[in-house]
Amino acid sequence: MSSLVGVLIDATLITLILALAASGLAVVFGLIGVINMGHGAMLTLGAYFTWAATTAGLPFIAAVPVAALSVAVIGLILEHVLIRHFYSRPFETLLLTWGFFMVSTEVIKIVFGADFRSVANPLPGTLEFGGLQIPAYRALVAVLSLVILLTIGIIYKKTTFGLRVRALVQNQEVASLLGQDSAFLYKQVFVAGAFLSGLAGALISPMLSIDPYIGNVYLVRSFFAVTLGGLGRLVEGTILGSFVIGGSETIFALTTSQVFAQTIVFVLAVVLLRFFPRGLLAGRS
Amino acid sequence: MNKITSSGANRRSVLRGMTALAAAPLAMPFLSNAAHAADAIKVGVISPLTGAWTVYGAAHMAGFELAVEEINAAGGVNGRPMEIIVGDSKTEPRIVVEQANRLIRQESVDFLAGTFSSAERNAAGPVVQQAGKLLLYPTFYEGQSQEQYPGVCNKNIFMCGPEPSQQVWPHVEYIVKNHGKKFFLIGSDYAWPRETNKMFKEKFAEYDGEVVGEVYIPFNTPEYESVLRDIRNSGAEVIFHSLTGSDTVNFRRQFHAAGMSKDITLWTVDDEEVVTSGLGAEVSAGTYVSFDYFMSIETPNNKVFLDKLFKKFGNETLMNTVGVGMYNAAHLLAQAVAAAGTTDTDKVRDALRGSSFAGAPQGSITLQAADHQAILPSYLMKVREGWTSVNDMFEQVQFFDKVIPAPARCDLPL
Repeated sequence: MSSLVGVLIDATLITLILALAASGLAVVFGLIGVINMGHGAMLTLGAYFTWAATTAGLPFIAAVPVAALSVAVIGLILEHVLIRHFYSRPFETLLLTWGFFMVSTEVIKIVFGADFRSVANPLPGTLEFGGLQIPAYRALVAVLSLVILLTIGIIYKKTTFGLRVRALVQNQEVASLLGQDSAFLYKQVFVAGAFLSGLAGALISPMLSIDPYIGNVYLVRSFFAVTLGGLGRLVEGTILGSFVIGGSETIFALTTSQVFAQTIVFVLAVVLLRFFPRGLLAGRS
Repeated sequence: MNKITSSGANRRSVLRGMTALAAAPLAMPFLSNAAHAADAIKVGVISPLTGAWTVYGAAHMAGFELAVEEINAAGGVNGRPMEIIVGDSKTEPRIVVEQANRLIRQESVDFLAGTFSSAERNAAGPVVQQAGKLLLYPTFYEGQSQEQYPGVCNKNIFMCGPEPSQQVWPHVEYIVKNHGKKFFLIGSDYAWPRETNKMFKEKFAEYDGEVVGEVYIPFNTPEYESVLRDIRNSGAEVIFHSLTGSDTVNFRRQFHAAGMSKDITLWTVDDEEVVTSGLGAEVSAGTYVSFDYFMSIETPNNKVFLDKLFKKFGNETLMNTVGVGMYNAAHLLAQAVAAAGTTDTDKVRDALRGSSFAGAPQGSITLQAADHQAILPSYLMKVREGWTSVNDMFEQVQFFDKVIPAPARCDLPL
């Protein structure tokens, strides 16, 4: 019994942490169609900025927003200089953002060095839960992930800004004809996505090794999670996709080896995409 | 008509020209060998400068660069300077094959040194075998068995790092006596951890040890919840750890965050100075590490070595067993070329066999003639509570000098 509860808790934690990591991509790829291969690099930058800020003496809680905003600024520059000219050409955005990944990785190596860095765990200790021990900080990040995703959902569904974005996503031309400043909206959405990626990188940094490639661990997983959940299904889609890609692994790992479990997960993802090519939740809208 | 004939003649001369061009590469080796007599001795160094194991690349390169600088400052080898030509492996065995081919064919290097992981070395094995070039491999590895040929048991490869009978076997007794007989084995999913665990279990059986779990983790796995659960449920007293790269850091941080590090002892055969620095004092405290070299060992040679290292690369430079393996590899090679008086593969191989390098930071080391394995010391260290730098990171638990490796399971002699 306690092991079943344990598995469920594990699956929930993994799902929510992956959903957090994927949230920036869900916005950038899911809404405005930029195949952001630089997503991993943005996570990495978020982690490094957090490390730099905490090393400079800022408390972790202040370092997180600083890191997220810094990545947002980088996203703004990237968008303004390059991405904005390519919204109608997704394949080119793939190349551009891959270039961004390579450049930023090398710059990270020059600025921060290639050694492992680490951010101290801001919330050490574990929570006791019916005989199970849950790392306190992971639990906190999972909760924050839920809060962040719900906030994105509310902004998208309930605010005027969200309405504008939805109009843009549904029909860019008509939205523009009706007086929308599409270019500015695209910019805002891209920067929001970069902000979310930076935020995720910052929040995840105390759990992972910080090296120049840290974010790439999440790159492929994020793409699967977002695509599987369904593009544009910001909250439910991202969580469902993250469960299939991340959370279900811990369930498979109960009966098979870790290597095999990871393989099954990706096989499952591919098979699901075959039958739901537009994502698991796409049919419902 | 005339026109056609002349153009025919042209065609013929073009063809003749092309034949000459095609033959040129065949002639090239003679030309370049002749030119080499006055030129540098070229050594192709394959190092993980980008990709997942970038963190290890710096020490890997630094060790070799420092040695080559020393060799050249002392007048080179037989009056010829030694020159490094770098190939980035991008941490991918596939790229290692490309780079090894490029270095040998295009850069016409005389020798190869480096590759980092066993997977990389195994990728380079067939290339050096075919090209008839020597590879000096610096890393701690899984030992040699004929089934892994030509990655090991290869007469063109020399092993400068320790294998499990040196790195692991001497310390099994201590860990079992002090921390219990129930071991959980966790490693990355490739040759080195699997073979190392096989070797470990051989020795472990002598102490009636029980393996309560054995898992292999795919590279770049960020989450370890299910593994940690398995470890907790297995009743393990000790974790025998051979994860690599960022996975080792991710696992160990999560292991510590889950509150398990106070109940379960961890013994790693991978986490040297670079990784332990990345983990930080809190996560790493109280764990065991075993290697042939640590920055903090107090040999006279190490003092001299570190002085030179810091002078060249700065006081914060991290060194480790692999970087020292590269340093020793360069010196062993230079000595052998000097003794052989040529860069000819067969003659240098003969000179390397049984040769010793007295200046090794560990203290004098020897390459065994029969199986190309190195005789090295073996240290078991415990990570100190609240360490602040590599100087006080490790506390020596036990030490064996000049550990002779178990005979390679190859068709000997190589």
